[in-house]
Amino acid sequence: MNARLLTLLALLVGVSLSARADGDIEWRHRATQGAVTLSANPIGTAARRSFYTARGFAAETIRPYALACGFSLGMKNSGAATLSTRLADWRAVGADGRAVRLRLPAEWDQQWASTHVPEAARIAFRWAQFQAENIFDAGDWIMGMATLEAPLPGSFRLVALYHDEKGDHEIVLDKLACNHD
Amino acid sequence: MSPVAGVPPAPTLVLPDMDDKTIDLARYRGKVVLVNFWATWCPPCRKEFPSLGRVRKLFKPTEFEVVAVNVGEDPETVFSFAGAPDFPVLFDRDSQAMARWPVKGLPTTLVVDRQGHLALRAVGGREFDDPAIVEQLRELLMPRST
Repeated sequence: MNARLLTLLALLVGVSLSARADGDIEWRHRATQGAVTLSANPIGTAARRSFYTARGFAAETIRPYALACGFSLGMKNSGAATLSTRLADWRAVGADGRAVRLRLPAEWDQQWASTHVPEAARIAFRWAQFQAENIFDAGDWIMGMATLEAPLPGSFRLVALYHDEKGDHEIVLDKLACNHD
Repeated sequence: MSPVAGVPPAPTLVLPDMDDKTIDLARYRGKVVLVNFWATWCPPCRKEFPSLGRVRKLFKPTEFEVVAVNVGEDPETVFSFAGAPDFPVLFDRDSQAMARWPVKGLPTTLVVDRQGHLALRAVGGREFDDPAIVEQLRELLMPRST
């Protein structure tokens, strides 16, 4: 569509043309280990269902993802050294010591492929997830959604591993809980 | 922003803009180009987006350009967020173009130098008119002594 025509249409219907700087996020859970900060917010079922149905998922298709124990995760490298993460190494640990892994984005994507989810919806899903493997250079930060393989009752810890030139490190978020609104 | 190891050639990038005109990144050869991969649903992308326009105004149009590559959305969605920016917004609807670039998450920003090589990279939101980033861009614009 012609951009000038879009501008005119927007002016006619009163759409604001200014880009809103509404990307600031208030994190409910945060932990720092050295120069690395890990943050998390539980995301409820309704919010995830709404987000993904707006991007092309059928409500029934996204249902298992929306019902899973899900979070928005953010990780920042404020140091000078490059570090890396593998989501497959992370665990949620319940009060009884039971450990649950995170379900990887590719595992969800296999499900979407088998249920013929539209490609545009799969792309949005793929890039909205906390990526399975990340490399953080100085100043880099990454956010995205993640789900547990199985729910944990009550509160639990998220034990996240990262690797830098000095070896493997652990950063722990305490007192997380699933949000099933 | 961090230097890109090896300063490899920038991958090809040929995509439609908001008016469905095909834009080839190669047309900007000779300029420093800041290429930003983003989507409207990505909070840090939304936050940093206005700074793309601000940093563009700090340099001469003959030497610097900003190109925003939207991933997986359509012009109407982008327009409802950004209007019609002063810089090109390209549409990578199937994310195939992005797959050729060293992008692991959104937003990711790469700076292509005047010779068409990847010089700098930032993962996660930035304010691109931050003095430290502006200085990095100025250094790329300086004539090479060799």
